[in-house]
Amino acid sequence: MQIFTSLLAAISMSTAAWATDITVALTQENIEVDASFAGAHLTLFGVITGLSEIETKATDIVAVVRGPDADFEIRRMQKKNLIWSAGPAILMEGAPALYLTSSTRPLDEIAPAQDRARFGLGAAFASNSATFIPNNDKAAAILMQTGPAILRSAYIKAAQDRGAFRERSNAVNFKKGALFTITQDLPADTPVGLYTVSVYLYRDGALIAQDEAQLSVNKVGIERRIYELAHNQPIAYGIICVLIALSAGWAAAAAFRR
Amino acid sequence: MQVYLPIAEMPVDPFIIIAMGGAVGFLSGMFGVGGGFLMTPLLIFYGIPPVVAVGTEASQIVAASVSGVTAHLRRKTVDFQMGGYLVAGGGIGAIFGVYLFRYLRAAGQVETVISIAYVVFLTTVGGLMLVESMRALSRPHHIDTPRNRKRRVAWMAALPFAMRFRRSQLYISPILPLLLGAIGGMLAAIMGVGGGFIMVPAMIYVLQMPTNVVIGTSLFQIIFVTALTTILHAVTNQAVDIVLALLLLSGGVIGAQLGARAGVALKAEQLRALLALLVLAVGARFLFDLVTTPPSLFVVSPM
Repeated sequence: MQIFTSLLAAISMSTAAWATDITVALTQENIEVDASFAGAHLTLFGVITGLSEIETKATDIVAVVRGPDADFEIRRMQKKNLIWSAGPAILMEGAPALYLTSSTRPLDEIAPAQDRARFGLGAAFASNSATFIPNNDKAAAILMQTGPAILRSAYIKAAQDRGAFRERSNAVNFKKGALFTITQDLPADTPVGLYTVSVYLYRDGALIAQDEAQLSVNKVGIERRIYELAHNQPIAYGIICVLIALSAGWAAAAAFRR
Repeated sequence: MQVYLPIAEMPVDPFIIIAMGGAVGFLSGMFGVGGGFLMTPLLIFYGIPPVVAVGTEASQIVAASVSGVTAHLRRKTVDFQMGGYLVAGGGIGAIFGVYLFRYLRAAGQVETVISIAYVVFLTTVGGLMLVESMRALSRPHHIDTPRNRKRRVAWMAALPFAMRFRRSQLYISPILPLLLGAIGGMLAAIMGVGGGFIMVPAMIYVLQMPTNVVIGTSLFQIIFVTALTTILHAVTNQAVDIVLALLLLSGGVIGAQLGARAGVALKAEQLRALLALLVLAVGARFLFDLVTTPPSLFVVSPM
C-alpha cells in the first residue's frame, strides 16, 4: 500500500511540466561599508517552481549567508606562575568569519544530521571545511591533545559571542503562492569580502533543490581611502597622522590661550 | 549614532569615545600628567584591539604634548640641550620597542606583556605616590625640606663625557639622559604612553634637574618620541587609527583645559593621593584580568 502511494507521488511529480526548483536573488549584491556603517538589511527574494500550492506549503527553506573565507589563529590560554597567557598558535584555514542562517523551522527539524554536516547547515557545521595547521611542535602537541573538534567549537563559540554566527527559524515570509522573502540583518562589524548566499529547499527531510547568489561587502569613501593609505603607504600615513596631531595640538593651545 | 573606525575595523559610539577623551583630558589637566597610562587601558577595556589602542594613543599624546608645551616655551622652561639627548635616547628606545612589539604580536604575547607592564609600572608608581602624598598629608604643617642637590651617587659621577647643561645647571654625562630617554621611548612604544610618569620622577630624583624645567623638557621629549612611535606603529603594525585619534583629541583638549582649572581648587597633596588611587585601581584591574581564569580558554583571532 505504501509503495503504491509513493509510486503515485512519483508519477504526479514526473507529470509536472518542469522540475522542482528554487531560485534566489538579492536586492543588493554590493554592500558598502562607509564611516556611518551600522549594519545592513539584506533582502533575499526567492521563488519555488514546479510545485503546487499545497506541495509548496509542505516544504522547508533554509537560507545561509556565509563568508568571507578567512584564516584564524587559535591559542589555548595557559597558566604559568599565576598568570594566564596565550599559548602557541594553531592556524585555522578556510573558515567563514560570518555565518547566518534563516529557515522556516529549526534546522534539526528540517534536515537530517548528515545532510546538515554535508551542506554546512547550522553554526555547528560552519567550519567543517577548515583545516588546522600548528605553528610549531608545541602547537602540534596541543592540537593532538585537544583535537580539531574542540578547536572548532572554540572558534564557533567565539564567533557566536561576537554575534557573527546566528541561526533564526520562522524567518521566511511567504508571499503570494511560491514567492518568498527573507530579511537578514548584517551586523555592524561585518567583515569586508565575498559572501555566498545559498538557499536549500527541503521536503520531508530530503533536499529537493538549491540555488546560490553572491554578495560582496566593500569599504567605500573616506573609510576605504584611509584603510588603503594605511596599508599601501604606511610611511606617508604615519607622517600624516603626526602632522594632524601636531596641528590639532597647536590649534587647541592657540584656541585656549588667553 | 555610530562611527566605523577604518583601522580598528569596528563601529564605535563617537560620543562615548569623545567623553572618554574628555574625562582623561580632565584628569591629565588636573594632575598635570599626560594621561596615556589611563587612556590606553580605557580603550582596551572598551574593546579596541590592544594593538590599535597603543598605536593610536601615541598619536593622541603628540597632540596633547604640543598643546601642553607651548606654555612652557613661552615661560622658557624647556632645556633643549637635555631634551635633545633625551630625544636621541628615546628614538633608539622607541625603535627597539616597536620591533619588540611586533615580535610579541606575532608570538601572540603582546596583550599579556602590555598587561604585565601596566601592572608593574602602575602599582609601583601609584604605590610610591600614595605613600609620599599620605606622608605629606599627615604632616601638620607643610615643611618644605630642601633636598641636598649636590649629593650625587658615585657611579653617576664616574660616567665619562661629562658636560655642562646650562639651563638645568648640571654637569653630568650625557649617557644618563640617553639611557633615561631610551627607557621612556621603549615604554611609549609598548604601553601606548608618553612616559611622563616615569620620566618626570627620574629627571627630578636621578638627573636632579631643577623642578621648574622638568615638565617642559619632559613634554618636549614626549612630542618627538610619540611622533616617532606613531610613524613606526603605522609602518610596522598598521595600528594607528586616525579617526579614533581625532575623536579622542576633540574630547581631550577640552577636558584638559577644564581639568587645569579644576586642579587649582585642590591641594597638591590631595591631588597626588587621588591620582595615586586612580593609578592603583587601573593597575589592579589589569592584575585581576591576568590572574583570574579567562572566560574562554581559547583565543581566536583573525589573521
